[in-house]
Amino acid sequence: MALHWPKTPRQGHKGGSPFLAGLLILAALSTSASPPEANRTPSEPLAPGYRPLDYPVADPGSFTLSDLGPAADALLLESTGSKISLHALMRDKVTVISFIYASCGEVNGCPLATSVLHRTLAALKAYPETLAKVRLLTISFDPSHDTPKVMALYARPFTKEKPDWHFLTAPSAKSVKDLLAAYQQSITSEVNAQGKATGSISHVLKVVLVDDQLRIRNIYSPSVLHPDLLVADIRTLILANSAQPGNPSVIPPNPSPPKLRPGDDKSQYERSDYRTQSAALTQRTGAAQDLIGLGRQASLGLPKDPYEEESPLTQAKVTLGRKLFYDRRLSLNGTFSCAMCHIPEQGFTSQEQSTAIGIEGRTVRRNAPTLLNTGRLRRFFHDGREDRLENQVWGPFLAPNEMGNPAVGQVIEKIKKASDYQDLFEIAFGRGPSMDTIGEALAQYERTLIAGNSPFDQWYFGGQKTALSEDAQKGFVLFTGKARCSQCHSIDKSAALLTDQAFHNTGIGYRDSMGGEEKRTRVQLAPGVWTELDQTTIASVSEKKPADLGRYEITQNPEDRWKYRTPGLRNVALTAPYMHNGSLKTLEEVIQFYARGGIPNPGLDPSLQPISLSLFEVHSLAAFLKSLTSTGVTPLVEDAWAAPIGDPISVNQPDSR
Amino acid sequence: MKTNPFLVKGLRPLAKALSLAVLSGFGLLGALPLSADETCASPYMKKITGQEDFVYVWTLGVEGLGDGQDKLVTVDVNPKSKQFGKVIQSLSVGGRNEAHHSDFTDDRAFLWAGGLDTSKIFVFDVKTDPAKPKLVRTIEDFVAKSGGVVGPHTIYALPGRMIITGLSNNKDHGGRTALVEYTNEGEYIGTHWMPTDADLRGAIKTGQFADGYNYDVRALPRKNLLVTSSFTGWNNYMMDFGKLLTDADAMKHFGNTVVTWDLHTKAPKKVFDVPGAPLEIRCAWGESHNYCFTTTALTSQIWLIHEDDKGEWQAQSVANIGDPAKVPLPVDISISSDDQRLWVNTFSDGNTRLFDISNPQKPVQIYEKHIGAQVNMVSSSWDGKRLYYSSSLLANWDKKGADNEQYLKLFAWDGKELKQTFAIDFTAAKLGRPHQMRFGAHALYSNVAGKGHGAALAQNP
Repeated sequence: MALHWPKTPRQGHKGGSPFLAGLLILAALSTSASPPEANRTPSEPLAPGYRPLDYPVADPGSFTLSDLGPAADALLLESTGSKISLHALMRDKVTVISFIYASCGEVNGCPLATSVLHRTLAALKAYPETLAKVRLLTISFDPSHDTPKVMALYARPFTKEKPDWHFLTAPSAKSVKDLLAAYQQSITSEVNAQGKATGSISHVLKVVLVDDQLRIRNIYSPSVLHPDLLVADIRTLILANSAQPGNPSVIPPNPSPPKLRPGDDKSQYERSDYRTQSAALTQRTGAAQDLIGLGRQASLGLPKDPYEEESPLTQAKVTLGRKLFYDRRLSLNGTFSCAMCHIPEQGFTSQEQSTAIGIEGRTVRRNAPTLLNTGRLRRFFHDGREDRLENQVWGPFLAPNEMGNPAVGQVIEKIKKASDYQDLFEIAFGRGPSMDTIGEALAQYERTLIAGNSPFDQWYFGGQKTALSEDAQKGFVLFTGKARCSQCHSIDKSAALLTDQAFHNTGIGYRDSMGGEEKRTRVQLAPGVWTELDQTTIASVSEKKPADLGRYEITQNPEDRWKYRTPGLRNVALTAPYMHNGSLKTLEEVIQFYARGGIPNPGLDPSLQPISLSLFEVHSLAAFLKSLTSTGVTPLVEDAWAAPIGDPISVNQPDSR
Repeated sequence: MKTNPFLVKGLRPLAKALSLAVLSGFGLLGALPLSADETCASPYMKKITGQEDFVYVWTLGVEGLGDGQDKLVTVDVNPKSKQFGKVIQSLSVGGRNEAHHSDFTDDRAFLWAGGLDTSKIFVFDVKTDPAKPKLVRTIEDFVAKSGGVVGPHTIYALPGRMIITGLSNNKDHGGRTALVEYTNEGEYIGTHWMPTDADLRGAIKTGQFADGYNYDVRALPRKNLLVTSSFTGWNNYMMDFGKLLTDADAMKHFGNTVVTWDLHTKAPKKVFDVPGAPLEIRCAWGESHNYCFTTTALTSQIWLIHEDDKGEWQAQSVANIGDPAKVPLPVDISISSDDQRLWVNTFSDGNTRLFDISNPQKPVQIYEKHIGAQVNMVSSSWDGKRLYYSSSLLANWDKKGADNEQYLKLFAWDGKELKQTFAIDFTAAKLGRPHQMRFGAHALYSNVAGKGHGAALAQNP
């Protein structure tokens, strides 16, 4: 249907040909879905709103619409001229709002919106109960031309059957400005080169869907504006309103992710037939536990708590320490907490990195030790430089390559300013946050990470003869006998930390400092896909590797070069990769390393001698090491997952809710 | 006062452009010669068709260089300007956030720029004075509000809101993550978690992998399609690259999936195996071209995500890029508006490569040029004749030493050869590492009708 209009100038507001042009277009649109040809260049495609959709729309009720914020109110004029507020029109209805100007002749513009709204109403006739709850609003953003009478004329072709469709305008240009800003409708009146208005208005077409609680639930631009989508969304909103409580349309997810390995487990990734076994982060939920009580239960085989008398565990201090432990705001830039390197389900260490990285990805030289049972140690860090738990925490807080805080006072200030810490220190300590109360709170939480009472403990200290498997028993014999592991990983009569807490040179550190570079490195690119990169390529993207001289850095005694603290072996099955630099990946690799006698070097610890171990003996030793895993780790992880994680909200108020 | 007549036959340029301005999701049918930087931007957004006036370069601060913080650098790129090829503004935002990608709201009034480390999103007003962007808001609650998503990467305009891909999470700094929506005003809307084995969220796992990782997102509104790819988590993207390559455990934590989604409901539909870290996604323009390309950074392949003749979406590898054994590391890509050409940059050799993709099932490399010791981003002008390149990939992945060239370079492309027009050394200028480039033009916000370069406003897929 070809339509022609005379080229008459726009003369004013009432009944002039420009908006008649619009009306005629709309009249044509209202009767058929294909718009007139005259208003469209041949190469310009039609908006999808005029055509059948190229895909099936999801069933109403099978999805939910997001809440996009409150729908603003405004004072408007009905086409009768009477005043009405937008909210009054929206209340108790699902509302579709389109913003137009009556003389718009762009077929893919305002006429599109009006056409789609008209056809949406037609489609909803098949659902009379739904239709009764729907209201359409077409609002002009050009009140200087689009008076109520103009809007009444505009409405005529669409309102013969008296649908619930209001055609509105605004009392003034100023009031419409505010309305448009509220609905993100930016419009510009076009001018010619001399600065005179041409009558056209440029705007980004958007149609807005509002629910009966005055919340915006969807926004449509021309590429998605279609009656089928609108109908599906409207019906979804109304179905949601009438949904019975306790009848969730979504099936609850599966039970909890694994607690003793990463949720992103990459076991077997080397193989081309690797299959993911990824856990869902939304399922990583826990429940607070009685940590102090749990600690008592899991202590079999552990020495006494050395801090018990001077700092008895209290619920308030432990809970406060736990909150601090998981608070990422306590780093310079809000990205790092203790838990980012000491991840609960990864043995309170990291099973995914050989050595850690701190803020801004700064390299940390050494592997993050586990915090399980750390409360029973007397030396902290791989070089043993701290001897008190509450002092140790300040290392990571202030290390430029860990949490990066520039000063003790800065950490204290952050805590003081955070409203979610208000009174917590006073309640726990009788005084506010300070270097020692922060340290003590964290130490108290760490002291509850007790993980003894392993099968080994039940067998060795608890006298339960069947608690340890035969393989593991054979491993124990080797561990304390031919393999000589217990010389450093000591077991005492009444307790076993499986560390002498002394310092030994195994050659790993020596090799890092004195060994040559690998000429080529085998690099994995994907499951079952490998390549080799030469030294030059890797060097081109590598920082200078930091030196690491171990205990020597603390004592300045050359005898201490490349000596590192013997780590405890409790829960060692949960704390891969191994050695101070994470260079050995599996327990078997570690056993083989020691069977070879470590790495020869002038300072090699005399207890490291080659040992002949059969494959079966290696297997037995590994079985013994695995028997050191406490049954008490799971509830600690369960509790950790329930701990609040502190994250920034704004720079001026470091609140986290 | 008489105004100009309202023409109905033969639309005036602005009116014509207006009608295009309200189009989305369509291929261009030849009326305007189009290709764009803007081929990577959202289909819901206004575009610049003529000469761009400015390039906004989201730049990473370098400790010890200048003020050491991230900044939005504005470069004048209009050849008619006296300041052509010069930095005309440098706006520092505070901190080193791992500045990475940026993009506009659908009305192009604001530029949102994200930090992969701090997860902050900086919102710049680029409409009031396109020559002088202003920082008007900093979104700092991304991690807290989203339920623990870290690392806003792609920021992509949907109608009235932004959809943002995360890269990581605040539980283990690994690669499992989500899509997050924010209103244009900067208010959190919702989180859509990537499908994992434990909760596929209704998606079909078509192969071996459902890692739950994310990277880029693109929409094809006419097919109700959203597509995402997968990279790696904070632990890896923040790590020194050399340290990462030699850490066998860390190298296992790369994405191997592409996911297709229902754009309307944001429900994931299918998870495809695309091994080796598929990164940037670019969807074709043509009305019947129902396909998108992505490239895998580690395995150096071009992959085609396409609708088959039964209407099902599929994924397949269609070409190698360079010699995959050497890990050339394809990074940014750019598709031409006529779907005939794909620019692919390879970080390791600093080269840009042009592929003939007229047969999408068989891309063929037809041109290659060395741009710098390292190269990452490429942004094409509307007409394809101007190509802007920037150097930085990630602060700790960029090359060290003499190879650590940090630049913005403009090349002219005549269909056969790239010839350099200008180069800015971002280190000598004490600015930092330049990353994402986005175009600005006065004409986008002008209300003057009709002619002049850049006067036409159009929305494109």
